[in-house]
Amino acid sequence: MRVAEKYTDVELIGAVQEEKNLNGAILFIYQQYAASTSSFIIHYGGSEQDAEDVFQETVISFIDIVKKGKFRMEASVKTFLVSVARNIWFNELKKRERSGHREKLFEHGRDQEEEDISFQISDLEKKRQLRDLVHQLGEPCKKILMLFYYDDLSMKEIVEHLPYENEQVVRNKKYKCLQSLTGLIKNNPEIARQISELVK
Amino acid sequence: MEQHQALIDHLDKSLQGEGTPEMEQLISDDPEAAREWSYLLLAVDAIQEAGLQQQVAAVKEEWKLQQSAAARPSGGIVRQISRNMAKVAAILVVVGGGAVFYKYVTISSGSLYDRYYSSFELNTSRGAGDADAMEKAYHAKDWNAVLSSFSKTKRDNKTDFLAGMADLELKKYDDAIEHFEQVIAINTQAGSDYFLEEAQYYLAISWLAKDKVNEALPILEKIRANKDHLFHDKVAQMSFLDLRLVQYKESR
Repeated sequence: MRVAEKYTDVELIGAVQEEKNLNGAILFIYQQYAASTSSFIIHYGGSEQDAEDVFQETVISFIDIVKKGKFRMEASVKTFLVSVARNIWFNELKKRERSGHREKLFEHGRDQEEEDISFQISDLEKKRQLRDLVHQLGEPCKKILMLFYYDDLSMKEIVEHLPYENEQVVRNKKYKCLQSLTGLIKNNPEIARQISELVK
Repeated sequence: MEQHQALIDHLDKSLQGEGTPEMEQLISDDPEAAREWSYLLLAVDAIQEAGLQQQVAAVKEEWKLQQSAAARPSGGIVRQISRNMAKVAAILVVVGGGAVFYKYVTISSGSLYDRYYSSFELNTSRGAGDADAMEKAYHAKDWNAVLSSFSKTKRDNKTDFLAGMADLELKKYDDAIEHFEQVIAINTQAGSDYFLEEAQYYLAISWLAKDKVNEALPILEKIRANKDHLFHDKVAQMSFLDLRLVQYKESR
């Protein structure tokens, strides 16, 4: 465990963009903003688990948005995170078909800025579906693909992490795993159709 | 099949900025190749999303651990006791008070670090190949050379761990913590355990060295609860009473 570094908004954005001590930046976000966001979610009918899940999705969305250079610094990080969390929770409530009253209460507090954020995180559901596909892969495939495509480890480094004999075995395994994943995507034309917009 | 393999090779090279113009042309001219290409990009997008989700979830767990450590009450439960019991307790306090007071005054995270720190003996057979410059420097206890080799060597769990140990020996505790946390983060991310348990134990020791028992204690408790942990026996021999005493003292 560690004491998170302190970041100004500009430093935090920089750390996320450059992936410089990303874990430290995420920890800082949790330490600074999780409590206030969670109390908001709980106030609007969520459980503690809901609040935890929503904040995790919020942080993922925030990092995604910042990495893609879509965070315009027009609002503070705190305001932005709360707005993203509100939108995620609002969409979740809609999905759960909660009472219209609660939704109206919620809608009442939405302003133009949140409408913008709503647009920015509109592909959240698609991303969730994408992640679910990865989780459908077996654990060895998931590990190998994440080490290569997320952690940017070389084949040589992956051999040190996983119980494979040599780089060629890892390379063959990675090829098959990637094929399995594209197969899952292809078998779900709705996801492929929806998400193809993301990669254009 | 060959085209698919070529596209994957192109994908991997493109991610490193080394894609070939020939493949770019193929993707642009051949609709089938273009479709396959978009599926591959989609797959990488999916992996990166899942990776980010895992990373955030891992840090969230760390944060929750911190929360629970911070929420732990520093005082004991006040019990209602009888008058006679109170007298007995008072006598015990007078008799034992001196010793406890002495211990209270003298004990600190740093003193626990001095008591529990022992060097890590590197087993060369664990390395992937011949002992490299870093390993040699480590065996020679040339800590500055270990760090110097680290800056030139390709980073992995082992090099990070050894650099952390060198920092610990040189009393550069913040740097040591960075290295050990890196090893833990990579293992959490990969679901592997390469130098994980070593990093966990020495991370706790580093926190003790920094007089941060609140950070060390949850890690040590987890190790003590896991009988299969490499450092379980070592941690089981520690005095958790002393650790709690330091925690109480440092929380005041």
